[in-house]
Amino acid sequence: MIRRVLVLFLVVITVFIAVAIASVRNINRAVAGSDWVNHTHSVILENEGLRSDLFIGDGAAHTFVVTGDTRDRRACIEALSNVDEHLELLAALTRTESAQKDQVARISVLVNRRTDLIRSVVAARQAGDTERVRTLLADDAGQPALKEIQRAIEKLKYDELELLTERDTASFLQAQMTRWTVWAGVTLDLLLLLGAGWLIRDDIAARRRAAAVLLETNERLEAMVLERTSELAAANVKLTDENLERRWSNQGLEHQLRYNNLIINSINDLVLVLTRARNISRVNPAVVRLTGKEPHELVHTPFSTIARPHYDGEPPMLDPISQAMNEGRDLRGQRAVVIDKLGREIPVIMALFPLRDSDKVVGGVAILQVVPSSGRPQS
Amino acid sequence: MTRASATKPAETRAASAQKHILLIDDEADIREMLGMFLTGNGYRVTAVASEIEAEKIAGIDRPHLVITDLQLEYSDGLEMVGRLKALLPETPMILLTGVLFDPKVVREVLIKVVSSYIDKTAPLSRILEEVRRLT
Repeated sequence: MIRRVLVLFLVVITVFIAVAIASVRNINRAVAGSDWVNHTHSVILENEGLRSDLFIGDGAAHTFVVTGDTRDRRACIEALSNVDEHLELLAALTRTESAQKDQVARISVLVNRRTDLIRSVVAARQAGDTERVRTLLADDAGQPALKEIQRAIEKLKYDELELLTERDTASFLQAQMTRWTVWAGVTLDLLLLLGAGWLIRDDIAARRRAAAVLLETNERLEAMVLERTSELAAANVKLTDENLERRWSNQGLEHQLRYNNLIINSINDLVLVLTRARNISRVNPAVVRLTGKEPHELVHTPFSTIARPHYDGEPPMLDPISQAMNEGRDLRGQRAVVIDKLGREIPVIMALFPLRDSDKVVGGVAILQVVPSSGRPQS
Repeated sequence: MTRASATKPAETRAASAQKHILLIDDEADIREMLGMFLTGNGYRVTAVASEIEAEKIAGIDRPHLVITDLQLEYSDGLEMVGRLKALLPETPMILLTGVLFDPKVVREVLIKVVSSYIDKTAPLSRILEEVRRLT
């Protein structure tokens, strides 16, 4: 778009320069034409002056012949002098124009011949040679030479006027051409400027549309960014809350576990957690204290390795511990003995509570209370 | 003493319109987590570790709600609640503890002493519900 506008402006400038050059050239031609018109008028004026002074001189000579008055003679001499001057000027004015130059040369010959005659008549009259005067005037009867001169002068004048008309026409045409050139150039420039203006307006409109689209896109993008940012912020808040909730939940469970362990570990009775197969899975410190065995020596070993029911007489057909576990019922007040690390048997009262998970017995908790030597459980 | 709420002047002015909660627990993690949670939910929280600090705060900046643990390092939570009630007779109090009580005990004993009982295994959302109910 910018390139097109630049090209248009370049064309406008070119047309402007072309019009300016054409105008300057036409002005120069008009000036030259005007000079020539002045020159032609000068030729015509000199031509007319020549004719006038020649006739004045001729008339004054004839008057002098009749009157013999020196004033007429002086008038004649002065007129002839003017004639010479006119001839010189005509020769000078027409020296560059061959046709006119030839005409002026011919007129000069005729006029000089006539002025020589006039001078001869005046000289003869001045000398009192009447006969000579009569002869000269008789030869000039009818003044054919003067008529010829007049025709030549008329011809020159006519030719000059013809040329003047021609050049006047040419000058008019040139002026017309200049006018047309200027108006055409101005009109073309205006049209081109209008075109450039239209292109610029179109370009500005396109830029405005593009800017509006850009603005709209930016606003949409900004809205999306804001929306996304708020979504991220909300997600971040949610994550933070979830994280806090998880930490809180963990600490709650840990606290509860620690508290429960504290309670179990502080019980003086022996507490053992058994699996469904009656293997030991956990013991409290009272078990370690009484048996002298460390937890790692007890865990995953059968419960029967450290404790067994005690009967004064014949043992029952079925093991009461297995029976309670299988039936999922509590076993309370069962006399039993604990076998310590040295193989000693320590009498205890045993209780067994099944551990249930979704109505299934998955193990049990055995609590053994040491029987004091008096036969009552230790407090 | 831990101020869980921000202390910048502009935020302090904004916080003046917020409800003030006095949190008493001798475990720093609990103070930090609960303080952060309640602050995030628009409350101004002052978290302290002992009864002495709690009484000091209650004297200079009366709370709208007191949340206290049961087992503190140097005092019994329920006894402390009794003393705080003398200072703040109109202020509701929540007992937040890791000791799990039998529902009957809660109904018949604890609720007579405190406004609400929540065990520490309860989710934060449950605690927030009670805080909103009581403030």
